[in-house]
Amino acid sequence: MFGKHKQTKTPPAPPGNMTEASVLVAEEKEVRVMLARGSTKPALEQAKKIHKRFGTKASEALLLDAYLARIHSLTEHGLAVEAKALLELVQERYPSIKDKAADLGVKVALRQGSWDNIVAALNAPVIAEEQRAAIERAIKCQLTDLSVLAECAALAPQHPLRAGAEALRKAFEAVTSGPVTDDTLRLLEISHRGPLGPWKTLVRAIAYFYRQDDVACQRYLEAIDPDSAPARLVPAMRAMLAPRPGEHPLPAASRLLLGRVGGNMEELRSAIQSLDVALASVARSKIFPEIQRTISACRAACPELVERLQQHIAIQATRSRLHPHRVQAAMGGPAIQNAYFWRLFARSFECTSNLLAVEASSMWEQFRQHALAEGWFRKDGPEAAALYLHMAELLLDVPGEELSEVRADFIEDFPGYEDTYQKQPPAVRAVAAKHRTPDYYYLFPEKLFERSCAINPHREAFEQWLDWARQEPDWKAAERVAESWRRALPNDSQPLLYLMESAENRGALNKAIGFLEQAEKLDALNPEVRRAALRLLVAQAIRHLRQRKPHRAEQELAELGALPQAQEADRPAFLAALRWTACVIDGEDKAAWEHFTRVSRLLGSAAAAVLVCRSAGDACSLEGREVNRCLPRKVTHDQTDSLAGAVARACALGDDMNVAFTIPREFEGEIFKELSNDHCSLEARQLRALGEAALRHNLRELAYAASAAGLVRGGASEARFLLLRAQALPSREFERRSDCLAVGAELARRQRDMTLVEEAVDLQRGRGGLGMDFLDSPVAMDERDFSRTTEQVNAVLKREKQARTFPLAEPKPYYEPIDEEDEDEEEEDNRPSFGDLAHLLLDLVKAQVKKKVAPGTGHAPAALKGGATPPVAEESQKKPGKKRYFENPGQGSLF
Amino acid sequence: MKRHLQGVIATHEDPREILGVAPNAGDEEIRAAYLRKVKENPPDRSPAAFERVRDAYEILGDPRRRALHMLLAADPEAPLVSLLPARTGERRFTGPGPWLAVLREK
Repeated sequence: MFGKHKQTKTPPAPPGNMTEASVLVAEEKEVRVMLARGSTKPALEQAKKIHKRFGTKASEALLLDAYLARIHSLTEHGLAVEAKALLELVQERYPSIKDKAADLGVKVALRQGSWDNIVAALNAPVIAEEQRAAIERAIKCQLTDLSVLAECAALAPQHPLRAGAEALRKAFEAVTSGPVTDDTLRLLEISHRGPLGPWKTLVRAIAYFYRQDDVACQRYLEAIDPDSAPARLVPAMRAMLAPRPGEHPLPAASRLLLGRVGGNMEELRSAIQSLDVALASVARSKIFPEIQRTISACRAACPELVERLQQHIAIQATRSRLHPHRVQAAMGGPAIQNAYFWRLFARSFECTSNLLAVEASSMWEQFRQHALAEGWFRKDGPEAAALYLHMAELLLDVPGEELSEVRADFIEDFPGYEDTYQKQPPAVRAVAAKHRTPDYYYLFPEKLFERSCAINPHREAFEQWLDWARQEPDWKAAERVAESWRRALPNDSQPLLYLMESAENRGALNKAIGFLEQAEKLDALNPEVRRAALRLLVAQAIRHLRQRKPHRAEQELAELGALPQAQEADRPAFLAALRWTACVIDGEDKAAWEHFTRVSRLLGSAAAAVLVCRSAGDACSLEGREVNRCLPRKVTHDQTDSLAGAVARACALGDDMNVAFTIPREFEGEIFKELSNDHCSLEARQLRALGEAALRHNLRELAYAASAAGLVRGGASEARFLLLRAQALPSREFERRSDCLAVGAELARRQRDMTLVEEAVDLQRGRGGLGMDFLDSPVAMDERDFSRTTEQVNAVLKREKQARTFPLAEPKPYYEPIDEEDEDEEEEDNRPSFGDLAHLLLDLVKAQVKKKVAPGTGHAPAALKGGATPPVAEESQKKPGKKRYFENPGQGSLF
Repeated sequence: MKRHLQGVIATHEDPREILGVAPNAGDEEIRAAYLRKVKENPPDRSPAAFERVRDAYEILGDPRRRALHMLLAADPEAPLVSLLPARTGERRFTGPGPWLAVLREK
């Protein structure tokens, strides 16, 4: 074909009056029009004919332009092989085309996807300037992936282009992945004027974009050559810097970039807000389309959030009792049941009700298994210890006897979570499969405490464990905990103090003193240890006096006399009373009277001295006649003195010395009279001691009078006297009693007196001596249940301060509710809230209806599976007395 | 009860993300990340960012507090919208992928 062109033909004579040159110009024009139209093939054929006829330089130039246009057209149409073959033939035939075809050659090579072929020419010792320029232009304008050049085998690794591309690739990756330092941006090896210069500028523009330095970013964007490949990012970056709604829409990849970087979150935010509203509303039909819309928006704007969003939607849908299959369909798949999911699920359950503590604990166990597999923490790390402790705390919220029952039901009926993993990814399923053998350790507080303390032996954890063990019927349980504590933390004095107290309570005083000596070695200045030393010596002395061994008691009394803490407050009076007892036993009446006189002097009251000596004698098992022998038959009471004050002082001393004092009957009338007086001068501490002593002997009216006198005083001790009032009230006044406890706890909470708050909680639970009545909650409660508004607090305080007379009559049938307003508000809002659902769950559990589940059927609790309308099994309704589990067949996953 | 500390401790911003540490990062790693972040956000130049970093370290610096936060940080009752980054105009790092996709797009 090209051979034909080698023959130079004589051009035919021009027609008419036209010259040869004018004919060529006319025909050339015709060819150029065809080329401009894109008809390269006929144009080339025509150019060949013209050149064949004329054979001039002008006709050759036209022919070469036609060839180039043809090659370009072939390239554009994806015929890179043909274009390359034609280019090679033309170059061979017309060497002068080489310069003009340099760019085209690179383009053809690029179309073949081979940068190696393009840049290989750079390895040649001599390369035409035009070719070099063409290659560099190609790199600058066509290179969209730096790794292609960085890994190009045609160039040596140390070639400046390859090394520069590698450095830029790393810098590009760094600036798009996280904050970078200026060192990363330096890139000294890259010239601004070189083919990679625009990339260097782009890297800097991105870095300043993330540094929120928009001015610098704009400056760098302007510096990017608009013909270069990196310039393609400029419109997207400008849109991120200053979004202009209504402007020419960006291409899809640019829009995706905007969404990922965060410039397009508003649509997602709006979708999520609508879903939140739908979930909170009763219009359930709206929820599923909203879920769909939200997930789609999230996939576009923030794909990394999709998994988490699905998990939260799944949990909220469970609470809203939506049908799991519909939720799953709307989300486009199930929520991944990984550690994050189980943590959220467990939190959801434990926040709902403490009756679901067992289920919540089982979910925490699922969380633990997945968290270990996902590397959240080590199985013996502090996180694991905190988790065990948290699970134990959950179980402690359920009263002991209730826990045993709930636990037994759970172990009997709960089939595990295997079924819920069916549609989960293999990695998640593998974790579940690894723990198929059930281990119900998570239902036993002692095992959880033990695990926690073994991993992270900590004082607070041992304290909680010991507190729990002290409630157990087996006293040895607490001793075992104290021994574990002692072994784990040998420098802590608390376990020794507990062991000492336990031994003391069992009457093993020598053993108790042994523990005390060890505690003194560790922490002699500890107030607990100091108090214990005093208490134990007193107990030892009383025991010897009870055994009629006053000479042995004298040793302890001498030791007590040497103790600095025994000289504080009214304690010397009590020591004198013990000496009085020893003298009575020995028959040394004269010395006994001397001691009595001393007690009277120290307490400033003969009445108080009688009370203290009589109580000391009672504690040492003296007989009545012995006691009366060395005490005045009739106490002369000066009208200016306060009998109530004297008795209160004596009672406070008894509390301090751990000896229960008895208020003589003959004193009661006078004390009543004093307490009823508006000008009663007793201190709050004295009133409290008096009230508590009265309670010990079931003198409720006297305790009530003490609480009335204390409440009238007002001030910080009001909370304490409300608790005293609650204890003094007869059981039929249960509503009033409950109010006093609630308001007392609220006041204590405001004063940050957590000991008093806990005392109120214990009293409400019936542990503090009030006993249980039918209104006492069978479920555990804590300080949150006592929350009261200021108006409620003031109302109860006002009422109790006015009620100074002990209620002898039956209470009114209806007691004025203190939260009437709240009830009105509830009536106005008829929408079912999560609170309603929580109450429903509570009611369900309280109903304790149990459905027997056939072995192997694999039914999980409805609350776990979140059925939209969990079928209350007929069978379960027939079998009251146990917890109810629901059947939900065909369930492949939680969501 | 520790569960009641939720209001005090829980935050919708993950302190690990703020410090840029892995979920299983240890004490030393957390401290190193904290120092690095403080250097990047000195209190005189970016006080708000510094406070975030300091708050995050207060939670993660103490192993027991860190462990407790890990358990209680998730709030199932929080509105879903709280899952979105709290700060508006935040520019998130995406890695090179989405940027290169724009360059490759015709």
